[in-house]
Amino acid sequence: MRPEKGELTQAKKTSALGLSEAEAIERAKHGDAECFEALYGLHKRRVYSLCLRMTGNTAEAEDLTQEAFLQLYRKIATFRGESAFSTWLHRLAVNVVLMHLRKKGLPEVSLEESMEPQEDGPKKDIGARDNVLAGSIDRVNLERAIESLPPGYRIIFVLHDIEGYEHNEIAEMMGCSIGNSKSQLHKARMKLRDLLKITRAEKATRQ
Amino acid sequence: MTCAEFQKALPYIIETGGNAEQEEHLRTCTKCSDLVADLKYIAECAKLLVPMMDPSPRVWDEINKSLEQEGLVRKATPRGRLLEPTTASRWGPRRLVPVAAVVLAALALFVYRNQTGEKHVASNQAPEPAAVASSAVSVHGMSDADDQQVLQQVSAQSPSMRDAYESNLKQVNSDIADAQKSLDQNPDDADAEQSLRDAYEQKTMLYDMATSRSLP
Repeated sequence: MRPEKGELTQAKKTSALGLSEAEAIERAKHGDAECFEALYGLHKRRVYSLCLRMTGNTAEAEDLTQEAFLQLYRKIATFRGESAFSTWLHRLAVNVVLMHLRKKGLPEVSLEESMEPQEDGPKKDIGARDNVLAGSIDRVNLERAIESLPPGYRIIFVLHDIEGYEHNEIAEMMGCSIGNSKSQLHKARMKLRDLLKITRAEKATRQ
Repeated sequence: MTCAEFQKALPYIIETGGNAEQEEHLRTCTKCSDLVADLKYIAECAKLLVPMMDPSPRVWDEINKSLEQEGLVRKATPRGRLLEPTTASRWGPRRLVPVAAVVLAALALFVYRNQTGEKHVASNQAPEPAAVASSAVSVHGMSDADDQQVLQQVSAQSPSMRDAYESNLKQVNSDIADAQKSLDQNPDDADAEQSLRDAYEQKTMLYDMATSRSLP
């Protein structure tokens, strides 16, 4: 998994307490309320963004953020420093979201990968040639397109392309095969490509 | 290789690369190469999606509430201060610090007097903080009757130490009076609170030392 974005900037926040993140973690293990809050401040944005992107719902994302941090604080005494704290927290947050989605009964990944075209799948792009997307995607449109993905596609896309998990990690978390993970990711990207091309065409029509 | 065959294999080769035939098709087919370029571009753009939004403040409020309910946190004392300033309260630090210190000092005196055979129920007759503070410093910078008693005991047991004890008691009583005066003028003065607390603790230690010296 790649390093957390903006981590260096956020780390400065613990300097207000005169503590490094490692020191804040040690103190939090002993119930230091200020350090709990400092750790929350450092990591809340990333955890919340993850929850929001995976669920597509603000209220759910906030509830899941709350649950993720509560679980973190309950388990923080067991953190041994074998991995980076952010990695540990992130994995915990992902598990919280996945557990929530399972309880809701939302499809995560098809356990039986079918090679037949899915009704909700993207159009097969066999022979058509459109203009390439390079240079035409802006952040807002991409976020909107991700939000409108079917939940199963969205989860895989968020975990792999945004959060940087490898297919073997996703397969383990989702209880599917690596091949299934790759296939779902491909479908997600194809769907996004369709959505972004539509958006670009609409924009061109308005201009 | 046809485009259909290439695109069927694409999910599994886009990151790692394909075999020679697939690579050859990619090199020669503009439609498939455009498709691959688009998919890779989408993936690259996704990597740049920095988390931008914070959860609402209520999230932390709920977390904090749960942590307290579950007993997972203890209130941290601010760095450099042992007590948090509080809003005006009948039992705020301004009241509790001197009360606690007087109780400690009274307990030390209770032990001391018991050891010398005198009966004195100090622990449940702790004077009001204001009374203690106001009587803490006499004209000569000496404390109240209890201080006199401590000095008399020290004189009896270790005459050479009396002057040192007297000097220390004068100093600590003066510190108590100064800190109390500052706190009276500004109840939110955290430094004065800390000074008052420190001064009472020092006085307690002096009593402890005096009583321990008088032990057989």
